[in-house]
Amino acid sequence: MTDTHHGPVIVVEDSDEDWDTVCQAARQGGYEARLQRVLDGDACISLLHRSSGRDRAAQAPMPALVILDLNLPGTDGREVIVAIKGDTQLRALPVVVCTTSSNPRDIAFCYAAGVNAFHVKPVDHDHHLQVVRDLLDYWLAKARLPERAAVP
Amino acid sequence: MSALDPSPWHGQAYSTKRHGTSIANCDSEPVQTPGCVQAHGVLIVLRPETLVISQVSENALALLGHDASSLLGQTVGVVVGVPGEERLRTFLAIEPVECNPLYVFSVPGAEGQLFDVTVHSNGGVLLLEFETTGRLASAAGATGVGAEPDYDALMRKSVVRMQGARSLQQFCDITVDEVRAMTGFDRVMVYKFHPDGHGEVLAESRRDGLAPWLGLHYPAADIPPPAREVFKQIWLRPTPDVGGALAEMIPLADPATGKPLVMTHCVLRGASIMYTEYLQNMKVSAGLTMSIRQDGELWGLIACHHYAGPKFVSYPVRTACEFVAQVASLQRRSAEMREQLESRLRLEEVHRQLLSAASQVGELADLFDGVPTLADAVPCGGVALFHAGRWWRIGETPADVDLDPLAAWVALRPEFLAATSPIYATDHLSANYPAGAAISSVASGLLAVPLARTQRSLVLWFRPETLRTIRWAGHPDDKPSVPGPNGLRLTPRASFALFQESVRGRSAPWLSFELDAIARLRVAMLELVVERTEKLAAFNADLLRSNEDLDTFAYVASHDLKEPLRGIHKYAHQLQVRSDITDEEAQRQLGGLMRLTLRMDGLLDSLLHLSRVGRVLLELAPNDLNLVVADAIEMVGSRLDASRPEFVLPRPLPSIECDWVRCREIYVNLLSNALKYSDQTDKRIEIGWIGAVEDHPRPLCPPGALGQTIFYVRDNGIGIAARHYDQVFKMFRRLHTRDAYGGGSGTGLAIVKKLVERHRGQIWIESEPGAGSTFYFTLSGEARQP
Repeated sequence: MTDTHHGPVIVVEDSDEDWDTVCQAARQGGYEARLQRVLDGDACISLLHRSSGRDRAAQAPMPALVILDLNLPGTDGREVIVAIKGDTQLRALPVVVCTTSSNPRDIAFCYAAGVNAFHVKPVDHDHHLQVVRDLLDYWLAKARLPERAAVP
Repeated sequence: MSALDPSPWHGQAYSTKRHGTSIANCDSEPVQTPGCVQAHGVLIVLRPETLVISQVSENALALLGHDASSLLGQTVGVVVGVPGEERLRTFLAIEPVECNPLYVFSVPGAEGQLFDVTVHSNGGVLLLEFETTGRLASAAGATGVGAEPDYDALMRKSVVRMQGARSLQQFCDITVDEVRAMTGFDRVMVYKFHPDGHGEVLAESRRDGLAPWLGLHYPAADIPPPAREVFKQIWLRPTPDVGGALAEMIPLADPATGKPLVMTHCVLRGASIMYTEYLQNMKVSAGLTMSIRQDGELWGLIACHHYAGPKFVSYPVRTACEFVAQVASLQRRSAEMREQLESRLRLEEVHRQLLSAASQVGELADLFDGVPTLADAVPCGGVALFHAGRWWRIGETPADVDLDPLAAWVALRPEFLAATSPIYATDHLSANYPAGAAISSVASGLLAVPLARTQRSLVLWFRPETLRTIRWAGHPDDKPSVPGPNGLRLTPRASFALFQESVRGRSAPWLSFELDAIARLRVAMLELVVERTEKLAAFNADLLRSNEDLDTFAYVASHDLKEPLRGIHKYAHQLQVRSDITDEEAQRQLGGLMRLTLRMDGLLDSLLHLSRVGRVLLELAPNDLNLVVADAIEMVGSRLDASRPEFVLPRPLPSIECDWVRCREIYVNLLSNALKYSDQTDKRIEIGWIGAVEDHPRPLCPPGALGQTIFYVRDNGIGIAARHYDQVFKMFRRLHTRDAYGGGSGTGLAIVKKLVERHRGQIWIESEPGAGSTFYFTLSGEARQP
């Protein structure tokens, strides 16, 4: 298994406990150093604008993956999806939703908006860990990602 | 009819005297231009500017001593003298005489008898009528009217009495009494025309010894249309000598224009032969007829008959009679209205009570309970309301099976479809609706109003058949043709022998004030219906909103609860794996904490699921329940272990309109429930159904499920005590300890109930502890036999 992309993994997560679980899972897979946490939707969008070059005041590396919670304070996760998938510079960036919601309407909306995967966070801690570890492994070690998530 | 028409008198000017017996059809008789006068008086026609005589009746010589033809071309002074001519000129200059005969003076005749002279203009000529008074010129003075009773005073007294009448009948009785007192006729009647044209004697005042005609009916043909037409224009028509001769005009037509003389307003106008024969057949020797009109239509007549020879009515008496006729025309209506007022007020009070009762509860059906009911809204035998998909009946009405086609028929009547005040009323239903003959005993009369246009909603009031007997004066069809001098012609009927006719299929008629009151009641009921519908719609919207709110709340709450729950679970987990916590008790407690969080997670999932069941749209389609159940058995079976339950379908299930996935969920829950709550080693589960119309016991079936296909799942499990029947369908409600019978969140049956209700069905239980349970449910969709 080769690491196909060295960009950071943006985790949009307002819950400390869930952030801790993600860290724990990443640690097990050896990805901990690449995690970059943002607390809400607005922070996520401004960070990505630095990656895509839309924000010329500051630069940031293009991430390898965005792990997104739906229920966020302020700008909602759904808006973040629309902002990413509606931006030609960011559209290729894989977005994985990881949320408490199992609402079929949310699931349908997210896929229609272009997310790459949708996961429900289980209450059971071991299950939760497993879910995050599997998705990190899949996206960072198994799947091949674009070199630079921008369309020429 | 004009004399220019091709007619039996071959284009000549018409004369009743000459051509009257050649009339084949009295509907075309030119009664307004008869060319003749009654021979007891003389008619002289003058040019209005010159007062030169253009036409004279042929009897001028006999009555006035002037040869008719010698008068032509002379001024009227030849007859009335120069002072008379001057007086006439002065009179014409100031009096409105167009179509309005007025008394001018009296003149002596050839044999000393006194003639009253009246004048009026019509058709561009002056008509001067000389009428015998029966008095001598010497007795009354040369030109005076003479010592007559004070007719003004008599008239005023009559009018005051007529105005005081409390009812139409009383009014008519007073009228005939007053007219007979004033005129001295042997018999005076008020004769009313019915809508079909036939007449009825409503009131009568008669000399002793005469047979009563009160209540007799006369066929419409007795007073033909031309005569009715005249009576719309004149107030009074004297025929003082029915058997008297006719005197023809010389010449018959106006010599200048060739037109026949219009004699509509002439009191001397020659009567038709048909009419005089008719009167003579009734032994009438003199007559006087007055019209009672309403809005330009002829309502009826005041008919005066005399039997003892000619009877001349003087000008002043005629004037008084004419005034009485005018007053009668005005007052009859108010007498009728006074009579109706009391009934109308009574009806309106009933309507007010009905509406106030109904508006309190807001249901039309409530108009059938309590006092008064809709049957009191108008005098009737019974009433039927079609509303909210069914009939509501009270009193004597046709049965539902007869009401349905009747309502369908009524709904297409133009009167019923009218944009304003749609109302259909008949007192003879079977005449228009052939099927009505079978229900005529209760429904000869029908009054129908619609309550809504979009859906079928209407009220029908019924009146029973009243076997009315009409007493005809003679056979109503008796109009024999007899050979006359000019061949076959129609003669007035000669027989007035009483003929009784029973009228079948008719009810008492609906009166106009009753129809008005019902039309108003309809509007008020309509408002009630609309108001009710709006209220219901608003209520439903509220209910829907609060249901949605509740589901949304449950959904959001369960979500938001999950996040902290996950955190709790995580910390408990982390504590448990810490190497420094080795205390067994602490480990056990941490394990309990984690188990509880997981259990709570399960409850939240159930809550989420339930709230989703409430919100999700059903995809209804006809589904074969055999396939649905097979699918459900497979899903349940996959969870089974060692126990080998027996699933029994006594016969194939029908197809029914339902949501495949939800319906399968119903069966999955019921089947797994049946498996779960069983101590049997040989578990047997029966999956069956009871057809909507099958003769089969339906234990504990709620009324709403009667008439529907019932599905059931029967087990041989532990059963449920009757007192717990309702409990099992409650959310999170368990009848057993948490871990007994495999545990469970206690939501399965709550979800089943909700799914069944989403299908607009019902679910209920029949069970006995230890003997197994049967869950019955309906799905409301249309079932098709397998």
